[in-house]
Amino acid sequence: MPGTITWARVKSPWVLHFNSGACNGCDIEIVALLTPKYDVERFGIKLEPSPRHADVLLVTGCVTQQCAERLKRVYDQMPQPKFVVAIGACACSGGVFEGNYNVVGGVDKVIPVTAYIPGCPPRPEALIDGVVKLLNALNPPKPKKQPKQAKVPKEEAKPAAEPQVVVAAPEAKPVIEEAKQDAKK
Amino acid sequence: MLKSDVDIVKVIESKFGDKVQIQLGLLGTAAVNTNGLHREILKAMVDADEKTGITAITGVDLGANLGVIYHVHTAKGFFGLRAEVPKEKPRIQTITDIIPGAAFHELEVTDFFGVVFEGNELKGHFLLSEYWPEGIYPLRKNVNPAEVKLNPAPPEEKMHEDRKIVKFIIGPQHPALLEPEKFAVTVDGEVVTKVEPRIGYVHRGIEKSAESRSYIQDIYLVERVCGICNPCHAYGFVGAVEKILKTDVPPRAKYLRVISLELNRLHSHLLTLGHAGLEIGYETLFQYFWRDREPIMDLIELTSGNRVYASLMTIGGVRRDLKDTDVPKIKTTLAELRKKLPFYRKVYTEEPSIRARMQNEGVLSRADAIKLCVVGPVARGSGYDIDVRKDDPYEAYGEIPFKEIVYDSGDTWARQNVRMDELEQSINIIEYALEHMPKGPFRVDVSRYVPAGEAINRVEAPRGELFYYVKGNGTASPERVKIRTPTYANIPAFLKTAIGENIADVPPNFVSLDPCFSCTDR
Amino acid sequence: MAVDFWLIERILIFPGFTFILLLTLFCDWVERKIEARIQNRVGPLVAGPIGLFQPMADFIKLLTKEEIDPRDAKKTVFKFAPLVAFTIMVFAMCFLPIDGASVISSGGFNGDLIVILTFSTIASFLLFLSGWASSNPYGTISSARVLTQFLGYDIPLFIIALTPAFIAGSLSIFAIAGYQVNKAVPFIIMAPWAFVLFLITMQAELEKDPFDVPDAESELVGGLETEYTGAKLAFLHLTRDVQIVFGAALIVELFLGGPYGPVIGGLPAFWYSLWFVLKLLAVVIVTEYVTTLFARLRIDQVLSANWKIILPLAVLSLMLTVAMVTWVYPLV
Repeated sequence: MPGTITWARVKSPWVLHFNSGACNGCDIEIVALLTPKYDVERFGIKLEPSPRHADVLLVTGCVTQQCAERLKRVYDQMPQPKFVVAIGACACSGGVFEGNYNVVGGVDKVIPVTAYIPGCPPRPEALIDGVVKLLNALNPPKPKKQPKQAKVPKEEAKPAAEPQVVVAAPEAKPVIEEAKQDAKK
Repeated sequence: MLKSDVDIVKVIESKFGDKVQIQLGLLGTAAVNTNGLHREILKAMVDADEKTGITAITGVDLGANLGVIYHVHTAKGFFGLRAEVPKEKPRIQTITDIIPGAAFHELEVTDFFGVVFEGNELKGHFLLSEYWPEGIYPLRKNVNPAEVKLNPAPPEEKMHEDRKIVKFIIGPQHPALLEPEKFAVTVDGEVVTKVEPRIGYVHRGIEKSAESRSYIQDIYLVERVCGICNPCHAYGFVGAVEKILKTDVPPRAKYLRVISLELNRLHSHLLTLGHAGLEIGYETLFQYFWRDREPIMDLIELTSGNRVYASLMTIGGVRRDLKDTDVPKIKTTLAELRKKLPFYRKVYTEEPSIRARMQNEGVLSRADAIKLCVVGPVARGSGYDIDVRKDDPYEAYGEIPFKEIVYDSGDTWARQNVRMDELEQSINIIEYALEHMPKGPFRVDVSRYVPAGEAINRVEAPRGELFYYVKGNGTASPERVKIRTPTYANIPAFLKTAIGENIADVPPNFVSLDPCFSCTDR
Repeated sequence: MAVDFWLIERILIFPGFTFILLLTLFCDWVERKIEARIQNRVGPLVAGPIGLFQPMADFIKLLTKEEIDPRDAKKTVFKFAPLVAFTIMVFAMCFLPIDGASVISSGGFNGDLIVILTFSTIASFLLFLSGWASSNPYGTISSARVLTQFLGYDIPLFIIALTPAFIAGSLSIFAIAGYQVNKAVPFIIMAPWAFVLFLITMQAELEKDPFDVPDAESELVGGLETEYTGAKLAFLHLTRDVQIVFGAALIVELFLGGPYGPVIGGLPAFWYSLWFVLKLLAVVIVTEYVTTLFARLRIDQVLSANWKIILPLAVLSLMLTVAMVTWVYPLV
């Protein structure tokens, strides 16, 4: 059952987009994800209008003073389990506006962030890559099957009857002695 | 729509004679030292020319005094009226009774510099956040923002009164707006009675931080005022600096700049037209418009190297040249877009649900448009024919033929139609520029230190007229950078057209003025 | 007392609860795919083969989210309205003949058409109540719009639903569906005006474009669902989706001859179910096309369309049907 729940959560991440004082570059690239060229609905991603319906909060912008309080409130309104993705250089650290008055600088100063996607603005391909990496981190894909080994000749296929004894160099003996003494202790 | 031929300079000279000093060629057509007579001069200008309006009001810190420059546009000219007030008693009379569209500009100067405009006083803050303490004006030279202590949060206003919804808050987080702003819409049932905006959610203090960076760094800073119209901001700043330096840009660079600006106009209009579809519930139209916007983004990447931030402009020209091998790709993409335009034109003209939602909604009359000093497609949709590319041609626009698109009805539908038709004009301009591209250098070297001086620059951004004022002081950083964005000038028009509307019509009306709040707040 | 396992199986699995649930999720997938293809996109692709499990993933994910109840909400209504609405809709579906017999009975009873239409109205009313109880201004305004819209459009809906009843001479769904089979002519051909009007009215009842005013994201954020999280939100969505399936099923029963169709080589229950599902999908596809191709009307335009256009046309259609039945059809 837990596997199914994780599967469902990974296949159906609903996002909410919040602009905390951005220049629009990142926001337009996020909206462009829904358009035919990039189409993230393939992954089950839906853009939700209300914080209560969303699983992933996409934050853009360098977090101005006025938006900091609202950002916290929107984050609190979202039900668990929830994730935050900071999109763009401004959301990661303040970007070009780091140090300005009225700018808090970086989303992680206000709410905990799960994933950072840098760029100014990050290309839609980079956004999809970041989201897919986030989803894979939640539900790691099974390790790839090892390629089939070449046919093993019969002698080597026999399992060893006894553990192989390494004939240690004479200098190494004290080590084995010490190990035996350690085992006795 | 007559353009008046009145010579404003002669009008001012004849009426005020030697009480004022006029310097021709500075800050536009002329700069006028008003010596306290700003109201009378403005009144004379408004009486002489009906198309007089305020483009911006710049506050400048002049040491002992605070300077207030009124940038006034008329039918054929552009003027800078200077006034000064002492810092101890910074009071000056308002001009909102003469030109109502000046209200927002005065409030901004009050917020940033502390100049009190008698008759248009500011309560609280306008662009600064509610945490910013009173009495400290960030753009004055003696204020170091890092040392300012912020206030704790103020109490919140109530939305409900006795279980009846009085105020309907749109924003800061709202599906209709890509950006945060708060509009408190007072409704009576389903009809809007008042709209109170609270802007400043995206205020990042760009004008202040531009003063502490070099000119080259400032290009990248002011570009990021807005991601959608970024070449216009870059060009606005760069053009003003070139005027102070008295540099001549090579002709090839002028044509390349025109191509970059027009590609930007194409993608921005396609964006808005699609977004308008989203507001009236027409998702299919939104998807189609944005699907056709992607080839334009590919072209922007081809010419400048980046999808969104072209960063093509630099002081003295453009940063990189256009390869001849790229030109056929640009022409094919534009030809394909041109083939799709008749389909979209048909949808906008014949689709019944679009006409039902957009026609006769949000009407702005021509007289109101002139009084409120609106710009761009909002003005051209109401019959007010202003376009910086035609009125005051810059770069290569004087040599390239194109049509100025004007519609008369003033409703939401007219504004979107202006944008639709401008798509075709932009394609024409780019194709003409590619055909007639001059050969030669694309950049000249300029000095890093800009001498003392001031200059203005006006650009026709997709949303309207974008205005820059730059003042140099001989160092590698500017003394003052003032940005007046088109959305800042258009928001008062929305406040007026929303009244009396059904609340369901507020989003399409709002989107029709193509708001960009990162531009508004800077 | 013997336990009737056959009845329990019919209620729970086929054609009862499980079947209706799976059919609803499948129709949700169909709608999303059609909307995506018209918009030049691909639609859900990753959850299961060609995205078939996407609605199931959405449903399971919502069930496992944290439930947040606003402090000011009306507790009982807020908590139970979505689930009760869903239950009533599923119960209404149980009256429809799906594999030749309905879940509950094998022949229906006279008047069950009115009963299920009433159930649908009660479910819509519960949706309105859930928005009203959430004490969120967006929920309040949206639920007021829901109420005005569905109450207004219920009247022409009932009137037009009477048209097939009048031709068949009975208010029993079985009889209406059976009449079309006996005469070998479905009512879509005998009374096409009623079919078109019924489609339009059903579109408005189900709040789909161009009538999806209560769901207007750009003004009302999440509409009446704004404050709901977790399982309650899942059931609100499901209720909406079951209403769409119910509306399509009603059109199939009343106008397209119900589940009856050619039976090839025995096992009529299987073939009837197959024809039912195929006809249902056809109706869902047509309504989804209409949804995607139109913009959204304003609430006052929707209401004036109802009172000024749809209602008079519904009355006229009934009069026309009466005239046709009395004078024209006996000649044919």
